[in-house]
Amino acid sequence: MRRFISPVLLMVFILVGFQAFAGGGQQSAPATPAAQGVENTPTDPRLFQPGKLTVATGDPVYPPWMLNDDPASGEGFENALVYALAEELGFAKADVVWVRTGFDEAITPGSKPYDFNIQQFSVTAERAQAVDFSQVYYQSDKAVIALPGSVVSDAETFAELRQARWGAAISTTDLVYLENVLGVNDVAVYDDQAGVFQAMLAGQIDATVAALPTALFVTAVQVPEARITALLPPDKDDEGHGLLFTKGNPLVPWINQGLTALANKGVTQDLVDTYLVGDMSIRTINR
Amino acid sequence: MISERTAAPPRKKVLSPRERFVPLALSGVSVVIFFGFFGWLVTSAEAWPRIQSQFFSLEAMGAAFPKVAQGFLINMGVWAVSLVAIALWALILAVFRSLRGPWFAPLRVFTVVYIDIFRGLPALLLVLLFGFGIPALRIPGLPTTSLFWGGVAMVLSYSAYATEVYRSGMDAVHDGQWAAAKALGLNQAQTLGFAIIPQALRNVLPALLNLAVALQKDVALLSVIGVRDAVREAQIYTSRTFNYSSLVVAAFLFLIATIPMARLTDYVAKKDRERRLQRTA
Repeated sequence: MRRFISPVLLMVFILVGFQAFAGGGQQSAPATPAAQGVENTPTDPRLFQPGKLTVATGDPVYPPWMLNDDPASGEGFENALVYALAEELGFAKADVVWVRTGFDEAITPGSKPYDFNIQQFSVTAERAQAVDFSQVYYQSDKAVIALPGSVVSDAETFAELRQARWGAAISTTDLVYLENVLGVNDVAVYDDQAGVFQAMLAGQIDATVAALPTALFVTAVQVPEARITALLPPDKDDEGHGLLFTKGNPLVPWINQGLTALANKGVTQDLVDTYLVGDMSIRTINR
Repeated sequence: MISERTAAPPRKKVLSPRERFVPLALSGVSVVIFFGFFGWLVTSAEAWPRIQSQFFSLEAMGAAFPKVAQGFLINMGVWAVSLVAIALWALILAVFRSLRGPWFAPLRVFTVVYIDIFRGLPALLLVLLFGFGIPALRIPGLPTTSLFWGGVAMVLSYSAYATEVYRSGMDAVHDGQWAAAKALGLNQAQTLGFAIIPQALRNVLPALLNLAVALQKDVALLSVIGVRDAVREAQIYTSRTFNYSSLVVAAFLFLIATIPMARLTDYVAKKDRERRLQRTA
């Protein structure tokens, strides 16, 4: 029997050693004593990096949400909002640290190397089961975008809109909007907005929807051939844009206080007026 | 029949119960310890409940299943149609390449260039170029659906590999077969059709099936050009709910389809090996 026992013992040793190694790694991380910081101030030990507000955003970021793909400039709606929020919470402008993430990195579980993520995440009850959101900081209209002469150009009703071939980008709530509000069944779904417009230029889809500020930028700069043909009513399940936190992040109430203060002082509305001016001349289709 | 040919194997030594069962028990125990340990390691992690609810939630899997399964039918449809197209087109290319004689030089050059290009480009790139690029030309009379052009891209890409497989099969047919066919008075087309290709096909069937399994998964590439296949439907569910269980559903469906194909490939390869052994015996 002895020659059978030794491999078993060896295996046990390996497993025990591995477990000790893995266990040791788990324990050492939280064991680091936090610097003496005060909660709900910039020295809050629960921040990713106490003393700094570490904010993640998309890569790249587009106007008017952030101008020139440069969050640190503070020019653009969302980065200006973050700087206003940082000031409200007591951070200096230099203490705001930007990191870039993709969409999937932002929504996977696990600890993240930042405090929150801002890239026009739409707040819905379904998503809130997997992540935490701040309160909503902006609710945008939906706009129909199409090439001139498209079948949606003269549409007056949802029924007429349903006749078109629709496309939408994954990771947005535009697809859900098309299915739930307009009742479109066979929306083509692309990796990103660029794919949607590529398909539109290729004649594979007739129209798409997007948040109005995005639509204004796209039709002005990215795809000048396209036009905004109509506005659509909001989806009642889509509450608007919120900051995205990992599930259970304890900072949410404090950040929400800051957002509430900004809203009450009218700062948020000022930023909306500065960066997200709509076009009042566009007609709305309601039925 | 095989038993008639092969001699009876030498009688095995009778094993004592201990000799028989102790190794069995030990391997059982070590398997349980090994996988049990890793299972325990994963499930005892602090973040496991969160991972479980976002990746392995049965409720979310059930909610995502109908759409993902519907998308999977598209995957299998594209796969079946492409498979036939690839088998034929690659065979034509392989014949082009194996034609002898100076007049056929353009066909040979075409095939070589074709294989260099389509085997050298990532399939994803081809899918994007064909799916978005060709319809954007707006040539009248050509279909514009991304499903069609994505399928074309897959066929062109995989045909390049399949052509090389066919060709290796033809090269493996002994040169004497060409000579024998010629001696019988067969022309080049008859030689290929009656002598070379039937033997080549038997040689390369396992390798072709291997490609078929690879294609079965790669049809998911069409998701990037707006085709709502299983992967895309799963991603749609993920982006709506931030829950990844739908991807596990898609993975499971692909396994259901590819594992029988892989076993079939093994089986065909085994039959092929037996056939060769008998022939040389």
